[in-house]
Amino acid sequence: MNTLGYFVEQYVMLAGALFTLGCVGFLVRRNVLVQLMSIELMLNAVNLMLVAFNRQHMADLNGQVFAFFIIAVAAAEVAVGLAIVLAFYRLKSSVQSDEADQLRH
Amino acid sequence: MTVGNVFFLVASAVALFGAIMTIASRSPIRSAVGLLITIVGIAALFLMLNAQFLAAIQLIVYAGAVVVLFVFVIMLLGPDAGDGEGTVARARLARYGAGAFFVLLSLAAAHLVSRSDLVAHRFKVAPAGHGSVEGIGTLLFNSMVIPFELATALLIVAVVGAIAVARGKPHVRRESKSASPTARMFHGPLMARDAQRPLPTKAERAAKAAGGA
Amino acid sequence: MQAIEALFPAHNYTLLAFIVLLPLLGAAVNGIFGKRLGKEAVSLLALSVMGIAFVLAVVTFLALGHAQEGEEAARFFWKGWEWFNLTRSDGSTTVLNVGFSVDALNATMALVVTGVGFLIHLYSVSYMAEDPGFHRFLTYLNLFIFSMLVLILGDSLPVLFVGWEGVGLCSYLLIGFWFEDDKNAAAGKKAFVTNRIGDFGLLVAMGLLLYYTGGLDWSTIDNNAKSLLTPIQVWPLGTHVPAASLIGGSFEHWINLPRCVSAATLVGLALFLGCAGKSAQLPLYVWLPDAMAGPTPVSALIHAATMVTAGVYLLCRLSFVMVLSPAAMATVAVTGALTAMFAASIAFAQQDIKKVLAYSTVSQLGYMFLGVGVGAFAAGFFHVITHAFFKACMFLGAGSVIHAMHARIHDTDASQDVRNMGGLRKYMPITFWTFTAAWAAIVGFPLTSGFFSKDEILLRAYTSFVKTPIATLSDGNGLSMESFVWPTWLGTALYAVGILTALMTAFYMTRLYIGTFFGEFRGWKIVKNWKEPAHAHGHDDHDHGHHHHDPSVPLEGPTPHESPWQMWLPLAVLGFLAAFAGWLNAPLFHIETMHHWLEPVFARASGSVELIEGAEHLEYAFLGAAIAAFAGGSGIAYWIYALQKGKPAQSFAEAMPGLHALVVDKWRIDEIYEEYVIGAVDSLAEFFAWADKWIVDFLLARVTAFLVSTTGTALRFAQTGRVQTYAAVMVLGLGGVGWFFVTPRAEAKVDANDDSGVYSLTAAEGLGYSYRWDLNNDGKWDDKGDFGEKTQQSLNLAVKENRTVRLEVKNAFGRTALRSFNFERPAPDRSGFTSQADGNAAPVRRVGDVRVIPTPQEKK
Repeated sequence: MNTLGYFVEQYVMLAGALFTLGCVGFLVRRNVLVQLMSIELMLNAVNLMLVAFNRQHMADLNGQVFAFFIIAVAAAEVAVGLAIVLAFYRLKSSVQSDEADQLRH
Repeated sequence: MTVGNVFFLVASAVALFGAIMTIASRSPIRSAVGLLITIVGIAALFLMLNAQFLAAIQLIVYAGAVVVLFVFVIMLLGPDAGDGEGTVARARLARYGAGAFFVLLSLAAAHLVSRSDLVAHRFKVAPAGHGSVEGIGTLLFNSMVIPFELATALLIVAVVGAIAVARGKPHVRRESKSASPTARMFHGPLMARDAQRPLPTKAERAAKAAGGA
Repeated sequence: MQAIEALFPAHNYTLLAFIVLLPLLGAAVNGIFGKRLGKEAVSLLALSVMGIAFVLAVVTFLALGHAQEGEEAARFFWKGWEWFNLTRSDGSTTVLNVGFSVDALNATMALVVTGVGFLIHLYSVSYMAEDPGFHRFLTYLNLFIFSMLVLILGDSLPVLFVGWEGVGLCSYLLIGFWFEDDKNAAAGKKAFVTNRIGDFGLLVAMGLLLYYTGGLDWSTIDNNAKSLLTPIQVWPLGTHVPAASLIGGSFEHWINLPRCVSAATLVGLALFLGCAGKSAQLPLYVWLPDAMAGPTPVSALIHAATMVTAGVYLLCRLSFVMVLSPAAMATVAVTGALTAMFAASIAFAQQDIKKVLAYSTVSQLGYMFLGVGVGAFAAGFFHVITHAFFKACMFLGAGSVIHAMHARIHDTDASQDVRNMGGLRKYMPITFWTFTAAWAAIVGFPLTSGFFSKDEILLRAYTSFVKTPIATLSDGNGLSMESFVWPTWLGTALYAVGILTALMTAFYMTRLYIGTFFGEFRGWKIVKNWKEPAHAHGHDDHDHGHHHHDPSVPLEGPTPHESPWQMWLPLAVLGFLAAFAGWLNAPLFHIETMHHWLEPVFARASGSVELIEGAEHLEYAFLGAAIAAFAGGSGIAYWIYALQKGKPAQSFAEAMPGLHALVVDKWRIDEIYEEYVIGAVDSLAEFFAWADKWIVDFLLARVTAFLVSTTGTALRFAQTGRVQTYAAVMVLGLGGVGWFFVTPRAEAKVDANDDSGVYSLTAAEGLGYSYRWDLNNDGKWDDKGDFGEKTQQSLNLAVKENRTVRLEVKNAFGRTALRSFNFERPAPDRSGFTSQADGNAAPVRRVGDVRVIPTPQEKK
């Protein structure tokens, strides 16, 4: 117990768990908004892992800067993604991803 | 049991709890709150990892902008934002199967990592200023200035794109069908069968909203 | 003459190119612009190119005559350009050029072709004047002359073959000239297809000649002709006949005995197959009678004078090859004789004037081949020339008669029927007298051209034979080499058939002659100043069935009229030649101009041809026999048809109706071909149609398409259009990728040096890999089984030692992989060393790359 939080492997495991939860949420849920939120979860998990490794190899701050950029990109992605959700809602009056099958054979 | 251990325990528990709430809630607003909780948990963990600046940014951007965006959209959609009651879930086996498979994958990965001969790496003492504003700022404006500028451009493009996509068309819809399929493709739904499902007019939507709420 | 010789030297005789290309020019201009130019311009152009070509041929003939002094054959060449190269597997090349050459044989034939051709062009100008396809006709005629000149003036077999095919094509175009009628088109097709069967023979001959003599132009074949005397095994194909083992015993032994023929025989037979197609011999003669569906000038030019003699020309040109194979020559002679008799028998019962002449042509061609087959090349060729004159004259005369009949009877078949003619000598005197001259020539009236040429062929058929060539045979291993000796009875048999055919020829030609020109005119009732009724039709109307006239009311019509001068002038010229051209070669009177002229060309071939003993004394006896045949045949015909008005023939027909019907039906040969040959081809086509429908279409196309579409339908279940589905599939892929990265791979690059025995291995690297080796094949890992970082190992092997090396790799996840390598150092290669006297090769010590071969005292 008194090692918690000081070993990189723990952070890796936690990030893995978060990533798994996010991925499972994306694969299972039908609501497009929840899917987008799961994507955010996955990105956060990756951020955590990056920062944890950067804490382990502290030669420079590349990990944190990378995480910084991921946050920026995630923000942009959410903006565009939600715009797409709105356009999709206008088309189908629903946010179920099952309805988005226009490219079906 | 130091403060660090407890802090880590609490933060990770909070993050996990938030994640589970995100993916498992029936109502989307609850999922958004769960996301918020996760983000706060992650921010706490960043603090633990000597990433103060990043923790602040995480809270400002993620919790303060992204989640807010989510909440905006959920509010905009209203009752339609949730899982519909009358809809039939399709391909349930595939979805749950894929999810289960991924869980298995991650368990296998964890098992592999645990079986490795690597020794656990404990953090060393962090130098002062590791993860500080000055540190990150130095990096951002010296060696990483190009990605920084590109990220700016990306954000501008994203804004423009979001406006373009979300603006939609003026609500004046021609009832007549265009002659050529090409014209119809640009002016109307992608497939002909969807043309038979007319978009709800303003009055209908108002009626639906009134009836649903 | 000197001017000609200076301008056109013998090795670059450009006039040949002119002679050949002028008719082509005429054909091209008339063909492309003919419709716009109008009749006068078209005929002027066609006639002038023919005239100039004839003049140039005369000039060439005279120049050649001047150049040929004595025994050596003079020859003028013109090399056009290089056509293509053929490279053999051993690197030697044969060059095939487009070139023309002329010697005595060609020049004579060119004179005949251009001369008779010119006359027939003149004739056609008047005969086809009313035809809407006038310019097309003259175009085809010029094109035909061009092809025929290419054929006879060609310097090599490929050029000849171009001409061969060209005349076949023009024959098709001209036979089917009035192609709107299916019958004519079918006749043209029949001619072309039957010719094609013969062309196969010619191509086989070309291939064999190229292989054995190394070239295809006349001089190369001439120089290397002896190499054709090699045996080719024709039976059994392969080493033995598999089915024979079922019977076993001596039969199997006998049937497996190799049978060989010489290459010369195969070449000769293949060439003759080509000639049988082109020159209408058995069994490929069937197209010639049908070819009478074309206009009469076509029949005169192509099927009497020129194209059908191309086969004879070919055999004469390759005489020195043909005489190398007595078997082939005998086949030629026998087939010629049989064809002559067979065709003559059919001509007995034909009523169409052109059909009689067609069968007569086949029969006379048989004579020519008979002459060529026994080795009398000059005699056979002389008959070609005389036949050109009298047969063309007869065909043109028949055309003149038909032209007159057309004035009233427009149906093609009826206007050519002899039963509708008769007594025309009163109304068409010029036609009558020229036809008489030609008739006299063909039946062998003494002192006409046909008399001399046919008599000589008959004499030579009896007296001449081909010697067996001396061949170098390989010594036997039980090879049964076919060596054919000219049978002693063959001469007698050929002569018997020949003289009988002469009798038959006299008979049916006299029958035709009397039926057409003597007696009462049976066509219609001649009414003076008869006018055409209101619904008159022109001469170009060739449909039958439209004109019915009530048979009870006798047909009335005008007096049959003589033809215009463009038609009777050629008749006159040809009639004159038919009567008097014989004096060019009358051995009876010791005039041998033609023989001397052609002697150098056939000099080499004549070496293999001999006369039986006592041949000189038989001349007068055979002369008497020929005159007897003429007198007998024409006498009988005169008695039956002129005196008895045909009654004995009728009673014969009634007495033997089956035989009569068979003869009228041309012995039903066409029907036999239709039933068996074409029927077989039809069955084959049906089989292939079935295979196409059920195997190609169904199995290969539709079944495979069905499989593909089913697979597509199955695979389409994955295309749901939903992102979640695709993400799920990605997760599966992610699993695969992860597995790939997580498992280690144990690979090593082996550097094997067999000479020095040093083998080095370099293990492949990877993330977090650690290695352990087992180099000494003891089953235990080296270094106490610890995993280390060493990736390079090397081992030394002794000669012929075998060792297995194992490598185990562990990656960062603790997973391991194992691989073993097997090395064997082979014994060094001794093949380059000479063995020592005691039989053992000296051992070799290697010092680096330098070999030290020990001196003998070091051997100890």
